[in-house]
Amino acid sequence: MNNTEDQKILKGIVAGDEGVLTKFYKDNIKYIRPYILRNSGCEEDVEDVFQDGLVFIYQKLKEDTIKIEPSSSFRSYFFGVCKNIWRNRLRKNKRLVVTEDMSDDEEMIDPEVLTDIEDRDREHVYRTHFMNLSDTCREVLNLLFLGKSMKEISETTGYTEGYTRKKKFECKESLLQMIEKDPIYQELHQDSEKE
Amino acid sequence: MKRTPEIFDKIEGYLNNTLSENEYADFEKEITANPELAQEVEKHRALHTILGDTDTLAFKEKLVKISTRIKEEEVSNNTPSNRFANYWKIAASIAIILGLGTFFWYTSTSTHDKTKELYLAYYQPFPIEDVTRGNTDTTLQHIMQHYSNKSYDSVVTALRGYANLANQEPLQLYLGNSYLNTNQEKKALSLFENIPNTSTYNEVATWYIALTHLKLNQPKKTIRLLKKIISYDGTYKTKASNLLKRLSE
Repeated sequence: MNNTEDQKILKGIVAGDEGVLTKFYKDNIKYIRPYILRNSGCEEDVEDVFQDGLVFIYQKLKEDTIKIEPSSSFRSYFFGVCKNIWRNRLRKNKRLVVTEDMSDDEEMIDPEVLTDIEDRDREHVYRTHFMNLSDTCREVLNLLFLGKSMKEISETTGYTEGYTRKKKFECKESLLQMIEKDPIYQELHQDSEKE
Repeated sequence: MKRTPEIFDKIEGYLNNTLSENEYADFEKEITANPELAQEVEKHRALHTILGDTDTLAFKEKLVKISTRIKEEEVSNNTPSNRFANYWKIAASIAIILGLGTFFWYTSTSTHDKTKELYLAYYQPFPIEDVTRGNTDTTLQHIMQHYSNKSYDSVVTALRGYANLANQEPLQLYLGNSYLNTNQEKKALSLFENIPNTSTYNEVATWYIALTHLKLNQPKKTIRLLKKIISYDGTYKTKASNLLKRLSE
Protein backbone atom coordinates (compact mmCIF):
# COMPACT_ATOMS: atom_id res chain seq x y z
CA MET A 1 0.00 0.00 0.00
CA ASN A 2 1.88 3.05 -1.25
CA ASN A 3 -0.89 5.44 -1.98
CA THR A 4 -0.04 8.89 -0.57
CA GLU A 5 -3.66 9.57 0.26
CA ASP A 6 -3.84 6.32 2.25
CA GLN A 7 -0.65 7.23 4.13
CA LYS A 8 -2.16 10.60 5.01
CA ILE A 9 -5.31 8.92 6.36
CA LEU A 10 -3.29 6.43 8.43
CA LYS A 11 -1.17 9.21 9.91
CA GLY A 12 -4.32 11.18 10.70
CA ILE A 13 -5.93 8.20 12.43
CA VAL A 14 -2.96 7.46 14.67
CA ALA A 15 -2.62 11.15 15.56
CA GLY A 16 -6.36 11.42 16.23
CA ASP A 17 -6.52 14.29 13.71
CA GLU A 18 -10.15 15.46 13.80
CA GLY A 19 -10.04 16.90 10.28
CA VAL A 20 -8.82 13.65 8.73
CA LEU A 21 -11.18 11.54 10.84
CA THR A 22 -14.19 13.71 10.02
CA LYS A 23 -13.46 13.57 6.29
CA PHE A 24 -12.90 9.82 6.39
CA TYR A 25 -16.12 9.38 8.38
CA LYS A 26 -18.20 11.46 5.98
CA ASP A 27 -16.71 9.88 2.86
CA ASN A 28 -16.94 6.25 3.90
CA ILE A 29 -19.81 5.49 6.27
CA LYS A 30 -22.19 5.37 3.32
CA TYR A 31 -20.36 2.32 1.96
CA ILE A 32 -20.74 0.35 5.19
CA ARG A 33 -24.36 1.31 5.86
CA PRO A 34 -26.13 -0.80 3.16
CA TYR A 35 -24.21 -3.93 4.13
CA ILE A 36 -25.20 -3.72 7.80
CA LEU A 37 -28.78 -2.61 7.18
CA ARG A 38 -29.29 -5.54 4.80
CA ASN A 39 -28.06 -7.94 7.46
CA SER A 40 -30.23 -7.38 10.53
CA GLY A 41 -28.50 -4.16 11.58
CA CYS A 42 -29.97 -0.77 12.41
CA GLU A 43 -28.58 2.74 11.98
CA GLU A 44 -27.01 2.57 15.44
CA ASP A 45 -25.19 -0.64 14.49
CA VAL A 46 -23.80 1.13 11.41
CA GLU A 47 -22.25 3.83 13.61
CA ASP A 48 -20.97 1.30 16.17
CA VAL A 49 -19.31 -0.93 13.60
CA PHE A 50 -17.79 1.96 11.67
CA GLN A 51 -16.37 3.45 14.88
CA ASP A 52 -15.12 0.11 16.19
CA GLY A 53 -13.49 -0.55 12.82
CA LEU A 54 -11.59 2.72 13.21
CA VAL A 55 -10.71 1.89 16.83
CA PHE A 56 -9.32 -1.44 15.62
CA ILE A 57 -7.17 0.33 13.00
CA TYR A 58 -6.05 2.90 15.58
CA GLN A 59 -4.89 0.19 17.98
CA LYS A 60 -3.10 -1.75 15.23
CA LEU A 61 -1.34 1.43 14.12
CA LYS A 62 -0.29 2.26 17.68
CA GLU A 63 1.09 -1.25 18.09
CA ASP A 64 2.65 -1.04 14.62
CA THR A 65 1.10 -4.39 13.70
CA ILE A 66 -1.04 -3.36 10.75
CA LYS A 67 -0.31 -5.30 7.55
CA ILE A 68 -1.96 -4.10 4.39
CA GLU A 69 -1.06 -5.87 1.15
CA PRO A 70 0.74 -3.58 -1.34
CA SER A 71 -1.93 -4.40 -3.92
CA SER A 72 -4.74 -3.45 -1.56
CA SER A 73 -6.02 0.01 -0.65
CA PHE A 74 -6.56 1.09 2.93
CA ARG A 75 -10.23 1.66 2.20
CA SER A 76 -10.85 -1.93 1.08
CA TYR A 77 -8.88 -3.18 4.11
CA PHE A 78 -11.03 -1.03 6.38
CA PHE A 79 -14.28 -2.24 4.77
CA GLY A 80 -13.06 -5.81 5.29
CA VAL A 81 -12.47 -5.06 8.98
CA CYS A 82 -15.95 -3.52 9.41
CA LYS A 83 -17.69 -6.35 7.60
CA ASN A 84 -15.90 -8.90 9.73
CA ILE A 85 -16.73 -7.06 12.95
CA TRP A 86 -20.38 -7.21 11.95
CA ARG A 87 -20.20 -10.88 10.90
CA ASN A 88 -18.63 -11.67 14.25
CA ARG A 89 -21.38 -9.86 16.15
CA LEU A 90 -24.11 -11.56 14.17
CA ARG A 91 -22.60 -14.91 15.04
CA LYS A 92 -22.33 -14.07 18.72
CA ASN A 93 -25.70 -12.43 19.09
CA LYS A 94 -28.08 -15.24 18.35
CA ARG A 95 -31.06 -12.90 18.37
CA LEU A 96 -29.91 -11.54 15.06
CA VAL A 97 -30.60 -13.27 11.78
CA VAL A 98 -28.28 -13.19 8.78
CA THR A 99 -30.26 -12.45 5.66
CA GLU A 100 -27.44 -12.31 3.19
CA ASP A 101 -24.82 -14.83 2.21
CA MET A 102 -21.61 -13.24 3.46
CA SER A 103 -19.28 -16.16 2.91
CA ASP A 104 -17.26 -14.38 0.20
CA ASP A 105 -16.30 -11.53 2.49
CA GLU A 106 -14.08 -13.68 4.64
CA GLU A 107 -11.59 -13.77 1.77
CA MET A 108 -11.13 -10.04 2.07
CA ILE A 109 -8.98 -10.26 5.13
CA ASP A 110 -6.01 -12.10 6.58
CA PRO A 111 -7.09 -14.98 8.92
CA GLU A 112 -4.78 -13.58 11.61
CA VAL A 113 -6.67 -10.30 11.52
CA LEU A 114 -9.97 -12.20 11.79
CA THR A 115 -8.80 -13.78 15.05
CA ASP A 116 -7.63 -10.39 16.24
CA ILE A 117 -11.03 -8.84 15.49
CA GLU A 118 -12.74 -11.58 17.48
CA ASP A 119 -10.36 -11.15 20.43
CA ARG A 120 -10.85 -7.41 20.55
CA ASP A 121 -14.62 -7.58 20.41
CA ARG A 122 -14.56 -8.03 24.18
CA GLU A 123 -12.93 -4.62 24.46
CA HIS A 124 -15.70 -3.06 22.38
CA VAL A 125 -18.28 -4.46 24.83
CA TYR A 126 -16.43 -2.88 27.76
CA ARG A 127 -16.07 0.51 26.08
CA THR A 128 -19.66 0.64 24.83
CA HIS A 129 -21.14 -0.02 28.26
CA PHE A 130 -18.68 2.36 29.89
CA MET A 131 -19.74 5.13 27.55
CA ASN A 132 -23.39 4.48 28.43
CA LEU A 133 -22.70 5.41 32.05
CA SER A 134 -23.51 8.84 33.44
CA ASP A 135 -20.87 11.60 33.37
CA THR A 136 -20.30 11.24 37.13
CA CYS A 137 -19.70 7.49 36.87
CA ARG A 138 -17.33 7.92 33.93
CA GLU A 139 -15.36 10.62 35.74
CA VAL A 140 -14.92 8.58 38.93
CA LEU A 141 -14.11 5.30 37.15
CA ASN A 142 -11.72 6.95 34.69
CA LEU A 143 -9.62 8.15 37.61
CA LEU A 144 -9.87 4.77 39.33
CA PHE A 145 -8.63 2.94 36.21
CA LEU A 146 -5.69 5.32 36.10
CA GLY A 147 -4.72 3.96 39.51
CA LYS A 148 -5.81 6.98 41.58
CA SER A 149 -6.72 6.52 45.24
CA MET A 150 -10.11 7.53 46.71
CA LYS A 151 -8.42 10.58 48.25
CA GLU A 152 -6.97 11.66 44.90
CA ILE A 153 -10.27 11.04 43.12
CA SER A 154 -12.18 13.08 45.68
CA GLU A 155 -9.64 15.92 45.40
CA THR A 156 -9.99 15.95 41.59
CA THR A 157 -13.77 15.69 41.49
CA GLY A 158 -14.59 17.78 44.54
CA TYR A 159 -16.80 15.01 46.00
CA THR A 160 -16.34 13.88 49.58
CA GLU A 161 -14.29 10.73 50.07
CA GLY A 162 -17.33 8.88 51.37
CA TYR A 163 -19.46 9.83 48.37
CA THR A 164 -16.60 8.98 45.98
CA ARG A 165 -16.22 5.51 47.46
CA LYS A 166 -19.98 4.89 47.35
CA LYS A 167 -20.22 6.16 43.79
CA LYS A 168 -17.19 4.16 42.69
CA PHE A 169 -18.76 0.94 43.99
CA GLU A 170 -22.20 1.60 42.50
CA CYS A 171 -20.85 2.62 39.10
CA LYS A 172 -18.37 -0.24 38.85
CA GLU A 173 -20.90 -2.81 39.98
CA SER A 174 -23.44 -1.52 37.50
CA LEU A 175 -20.83 -1.58 34.71
CA LEU A 176 -19.80 -5.16 35.52
CA GLN A 177 -23.42 -6.27 35.47
CA MET A 178 -24.06 -4.63 32.09
CA ILE A 179 -20.98 -6.26 30.62
CA GLU A 180 -21.80 -9.69 32.05
CA LYS A 181 -25.29 -9.60 30.60
CA ASP A 182 -24.13 -8.56 27.13
CA PRO A 183 -24.73 -11.46 24.70
CA ILE A 184 -21.36 -10.89 23.00
CA TYR A 185 -19.53 -11.03 26.34
CA GLN A 186 -21.43 -14.16 27.39
CA GLU A 187 -20.54 -15.90 24.14
CA LEU A 188 -16.88 -14.89 24.42
CA HIS A 189 -16.84 -15.99 28.06
CA GLN A 190 -18.23 -19.42 27.13
CA ASP A 191 -15.67 -19.76 24.33
CA SER A 192 -12.79 -18.94 26.70
CA GLU A 193 -14.07 -21.49 29.23
CA LYS A 194 -14.14 -24.20 26.52
CA GLU A 195 -10.51 -23.53 25.57
CA MET B 1 -20.32 -14.14 44.99
CA LYS B 2 -21.93 -11.14 46.61
CA ARG B 3 -20.28 -7.93 45.56
CA THR B 4 -19.57 -5.46 48.35
CA PRO B 5 -17.62 -2.17 48.58
CA GLU B 6 -15.08 -3.94 50.84
CA ILE B 7 -14.31 -6.68 48.27
CA PHE B 8 -13.99 -4.07 45.54
CA ASP B 9 -11.53 -2.04 47.69
CA LYS B 10 -9.46 -5.14 48.33
CA ILE B 11 -9.36 -6.17 44.67
CA GLU B 12 -8.43 -2.64 43.62
CA GLY B 13 -5.69 -2.50 46.24
CA TYR B 14 -4.40 -5.82 44.93
CA LEU B 15 -4.48 -4.72 41.28
CA ASN B 16 -3.00 -1.29 41.96
CA ASN B 17 -0.39 -2.76 44.28
CA THR B 18 -1.31 -0.61 47.26
CA LEU B 19 -1.83 -3.44 49.80
CA SER B 20 0.81 -4.02 52.45
CA GLU B 21 3.09 -7.03 51.96
CA ASN B 22 1.09 -9.12 54.45
CA GLU B 23 -2.28 -8.07 53.06
CA TYR B 24 -1.08 -8.90 49.56
CA ALA B 25 0.11 -12.38 50.57
CA ASP B 26 -3.13 -13.10 52.47
CA PHE B 27 -5.25 -11.98 49.54
CA GLU B 28 -3.28 -14.17 47.14
CA LYS B 29 -3.98 -17.16 49.40
CA GLU B 30 -7.66 -16.24 49.42
CA ILE B 31 -7.70 -16.07 45.63
CA THR B 32 -6.08 -19.50 45.33
CA ALA B 33 -8.57 -21.02 47.76
CA ASN B 34 -11.65 -19.37 46.27
CA PRO B 35 -12.19 -19.82 42.50
CA GLU B 36 -15.16 -17.44 42.56
CA LEU B 37 -12.98 -14.69 44.00
CA ALA B 38 -10.28 -15.51 41.44
CA GLN B 39 -12.84 -15.06 38.66
CA GLU B 40 -14.01 -11.77 40.13
CA VAL B 41 -10.41 -10.49 40.31
CA GLU B 42 -9.94 -11.37 36.63
CA LYS B 43 -13.10 -9.44 35.73
CA HIS B 44 -11.78 -6.38 37.55
CA ARG B 45 -8.37 -6.82 35.96
CA ALA B 46 -9.91 -6.84 32.47
CA LEU B 47 -11.94 -3.75 33.34
CA HIS B 48 -8.89 -1.87 34.60
CA THR B 49 -6.69 -2.94 31.66
CA ILE B 50 -9.17 -2.23 28.87
CA LEU B 51 -10.63 0.98 30.27
CA GLY B 52 -7.26 2.10 31.62
CA ASP B 53 -6.17 2.42 27.97
CA THR B 54 -7.26 6.04 27.99
CA ASP B 55 -5.83 6.75 24.51
CA THR B 56 -8.16 4.25 22.87
CA LEU B 57 -11.08 5.36 25.00
CA ALA B 58 -10.42 8.99 24.10
CA PHE B 59 -10.18 8.00 20.43
CA LYS B 60 -13.55 6.23 20.61
CA GLU B 61 -15.09 9.23 22.39
CA LYS B 62 -13.68 11.50 19.68
CA LEU B 63 -15.39 9.36 17.03
CA VAL B 64 -18.71 9.59 18.86
CA LYS B 65 -18.36 13.39 18.95
CA ILE B 66 -17.45 13.52 15.27
CA SER B 67 -20.50 11.41 14.44
CA THR B 68 -22.76 13.74 16.46
CA ARG B 69 -21.25 16.79 14.76
CA ILE B 70 -21.76 15.29 11.30
CA LYS B 71 -25.41 14.58 12.14
CA GLU B 72 -25.84 18.14 13.41
CA GLU B 73 -24.29 19.51 10.23
CA GLU B 74 -26.65 17.42 8.16
CA VAL B 75 -29.57 18.86 10.11
CA SER B 76 -28.20 22.35 9.66
CA ASN B 77 -27.74 21.88 5.91
CA ASN B 78 -31.31 20.74 5.64
CA THR B 79 -32.87 23.59 7.62
CA PRO B 80 -35.12 25.95 5.68
CA SER B 81 -32.77 28.94 6.15
CA ASN B 82 -29.89 27.17 4.44
CA ARG B 83 -32.07 25.83 1.71
CA PHE B 84 -33.82 29.16 1.44
CA ALA B 85 -33.03 29.95 -2.20
CA ASN B 86 -34.10 26.63 -3.64
CA TYR B 87 -36.92 26.25 -1.20
CA TRP B 88 -38.31 29.66 -2.03
CA LYS B 89 -38.15 29.06 -5.76
CA ILE B 90 -39.93 25.74 -5.42
CA ALA B 91 -42.47 27.04 -2.94
CA ALA B 92 -43.21 30.11 -5.05
CA SER B 93 -43.67 28.03 -8.19
CA ILE B 94 -45.98 25.65 -6.43
CA ALA B 95 -47.90 28.50 -4.83
CA ILE B 96 -48.39 30.13 -8.22
CA ILE B 97 -49.47 26.93 -9.88
CA LEU B 98 -51.56 25.34 -7.19
CA GLY B 99 -52.46 28.19 -4.89
CA LEU B 100 -51.57 29.20 -1.36
CA GLY B 101 -53.03 26.06 0.24
CA THR B 102 -50.19 24.01 -1.14
CA PHE B 103 -47.67 26.63 -0.02
CA PHE B 104 -48.77 26.30 3.60
CA TRP B 105 -48.70 22.53 3.33
CA TYR B 106 -45.10 22.72 2.13
CA THR B 107 -44.08 25.03 4.96
CA SER B 108 -45.55 22.67 7.54
CA THR B 109 -43.82 19.61 6.01
CA SER B 110 -40.54 21.48 6.06
CA THR B 111 -40.92 22.41 9.74
CA HIS B 112 -41.68 18.81 10.52
CA ASP B 113 -38.47 17.70 8.78
CA LYS B 114 -36.50 20.18 10.86
CA THR B 115 -37.98 19.14 14.21
CA LYS B 116 -37.56 15.48 13.30
CA GLU B 117 -33.91 15.99 12.40
CA LEU B 118 -33.22 18.07 15.51
CA TYR B 119 -34.85 15.39 17.64
CA LEU B 120 -32.55 12.76 16.12
CA ALA B 121 -29.53 14.99 16.67
CA TYR B 122 -30.27 15.83 20.31
CA TYR B 123 -32.04 12.79 21.70
CA GLN B 124 -29.99 10.34 23.73
CA PRO B 125 -31.53 7.79 26.09
CA PHE B 126 -31.31 8.60 29.80
CA PRO B 127 -27.97 7.06 30.81
CA ILE B 128 -27.82 3.98 32.96
CA GLU B 129 -26.54 4.89 36.35
CA ASP B 130 -26.62 3.18 39.69
CA VAL B 131 -30.20 2.01 39.53
CA THR B 132 -29.18 -1.57 40.26
CA ARG B 133 -27.67 -0.57 43.61
CA GLY B 134 -28.39 -2.98 46.43
CA ASN B 135 -27.87 -5.65 43.84
CA THR B 136 -30.50 -8.03 45.17
CA ASP B 137 -33.23 -7.32 42.67
CA THR B 138 -32.39 -9.57 39.74
CA THR B 139 -35.61 -8.61 37.94
CA LEU B 140 -34.47 -5.01 37.87
CA GLN B 141 -31.02 -6.02 36.67
CA HIS B 142 -32.60 -7.89 33.76
CA ILE B 143 -34.78 -4.92 32.92
CA MET B 144 -31.77 -2.59 32.88
CA GLN B 145 -29.91 -5.02 30.67
CA HIS B 146 -32.75 -4.85 28.16
CA TYR B 147 -32.55 -1.05 28.38
CA SER B 148 -28.81 -1.13 27.78
CA ASN B 149 -29.34 -3.41 24.77
CA LYS B 150 -32.04 -1.05 23.50
CA SER B 151 -34.72 -3.77 23.70
CA TYR B 152 -37.24 -1.09 24.61
CA ASP B 153 -40.34 -3.25 24.06
CA SER B 154 -39.09 -5.65 26.72
CA VAL B 155 -38.37 -2.73 29.10
CA VAL B 156 -41.91 -1.40 28.63
CA THR B 157 -43.46 -4.80 29.31
CA ALA B 158 -41.34 -5.39 32.41
CA LEU B 159 -41.32 -1.91 33.96
CA ARG B 160 -45.04 -1.28 33.42
CA GLY B 161 -45.82 -3.97 35.95
CA TYR B 162 -42.89 -3.26 38.26
CA ALA B 163 -44.09 -2.91 41.83
CA ASN B 164 -41.75 -0.11 42.93
CA LEU B 165 -42.14 2.07 39.86
CA ALA B 166 -44.16 4.78 41.59
CA ASN B 167 -41.44 5.36 44.22
CA GLN B 168 -38.46 5.44 41.90
CA GLU B 169 -38.08 8.40 39.61
CA PRO B 170 -35.10 7.05 37.63
CA LEU B 171 -37.21 4.02 36.71
CA GLN B 172 -39.97 6.35 35.51
CA LEU B 173 -37.37 8.04 33.31
CA TYR B 174 -36.21 4.69 31.91
CA LEU B 175 -39.81 3.68 31.18
CA GLY B 176 -40.55 7.09 29.66
CA ASN B 177 -37.51 6.78 27.40
CA SER B 178 -38.61 3.28 26.40
CA TYR B 179 -42.07 4.61 25.50
CA LEU B 180 -40.39 7.33 23.48
CA ASN B 181 -38.40 4.71 21.57
CA THR B 182 -41.49 2.64 20.85
CA ASN B 183 -43.54 5.57 19.51
CA GLN B 184 -45.79 5.90 22.57
CA GLU B 185 -45.17 9.59 23.12
CA LYS B 186 -48.31 10.34 25.15
CA LYS B 187 -47.42 7.69 27.69
CA ALA B 188 -43.86 9.04 27.81
CA LEU B 189 -45.15 12.57 28.45
CA SER B 190 -47.44 11.46 31.23
CA LEU B 191 -44.54 9.75 33.04
CA PHE B 192 -42.08 12.63 32.62
CA GLU B 193 -44.70 15.18 33.70
CA ASN B 194 -45.40 13.14 36.80
CA ILE B 195 -41.94 13.90 38.23
CA PRO B 196 -42.48 16.78 40.69
CA ASN B 197 -40.75 20.18 40.60
CA THR B 198 -39.07 19.42 43.91
CA SER B 199 -37.36 16.27 42.59
CA THR B 200 -33.66 16.23 41.64
CA TYR B 201 -34.81 14.52 38.44
CA ASN B 202 -37.12 17.39 37.46
CA GLU B 203 -34.57 19.08 35.21
CA VAL B 204 -33.83 15.93 33.22
CA ALA B 205 -37.56 15.10 33.06
CA THR B 206 -38.22 18.60 31.65
CA TRP B 207 -35.50 18.01 29.04
CA TYR B 208 -37.24 14.81 27.92
CA ILE B 209 -40.65 16.53 27.88
CA ALA B 210 -39.12 19.18 25.60
CA LEU B 211 -37.70 16.46 23.32
CA THR B 212 -41.01 14.56 23.28
CA HIS B 213 -42.78 17.70 22.05
CA LEU B 214 -40.05 18.10 19.46
CA LYS B 215 -40.68 14.56 18.26
CA LEU B 216 -44.38 15.36 18.08
CA ASN B 217 -43.57 18.45 15.96
CA GLN B 218 -44.73 20.88 18.64
CA PRO B 219 -41.74 23.28 18.59
CA LYS B 220 -43.51 26.10 20.51
CA LYS B 221 -43.95 23.83 23.53
CA THR B 222 -40.33 22.70 23.19
CA ILE B 223 -39.09 26.29 23.11
CA ARG B 224 -41.06 27.20 26.26
CA LEU B 225 -39.56 24.24 28.13
CA LEU B 226 -36.04 24.93 26.89
CA LYS B 227 -36.28 28.47 28.27
CA LYS B 228 -37.34 27.01 31.62
CA ILE B 229 -34.31 24.67 31.61
CA ILE B 230 -31.95 27.55 30.72
CA SER B 231 -33.27 29.71 33.56
CA TYR B 232 -32.85 26.77 35.96
CA ASP B 233 -29.12 26.94 35.09
CA GLY B 234 -28.30 23.26 35.71
CA THR B 235 -26.69 20.35 33.86
CA TYR B 236 -28.88 20.64 30.77
CA LYS B 237 -28.42 24.39 30.27
CA THR B 238 -25.86 24.11 27.44
CA LYS B 239 -27.79 21.47 25.55
CA ALA B 240 -31.01 23.45 25.96
CA SER B 241 -29.33 26.69 24.76
CA ASN B 242 -27.91 24.96 21.68
CA LEU B 243 -31.21 23.36 20.79
CA LEU B 244 -33.08 26.62 21.34
CA LYS B 245 -30.65 28.39 19.02
CA ARG B 246 -31.15 25.77 16.34
CA LEU B 247 -34.92 25.89 16.68
CA SER B 248 -34.93 29.67 16.37
CA GLU B 249 -32.84 29.69 13.15
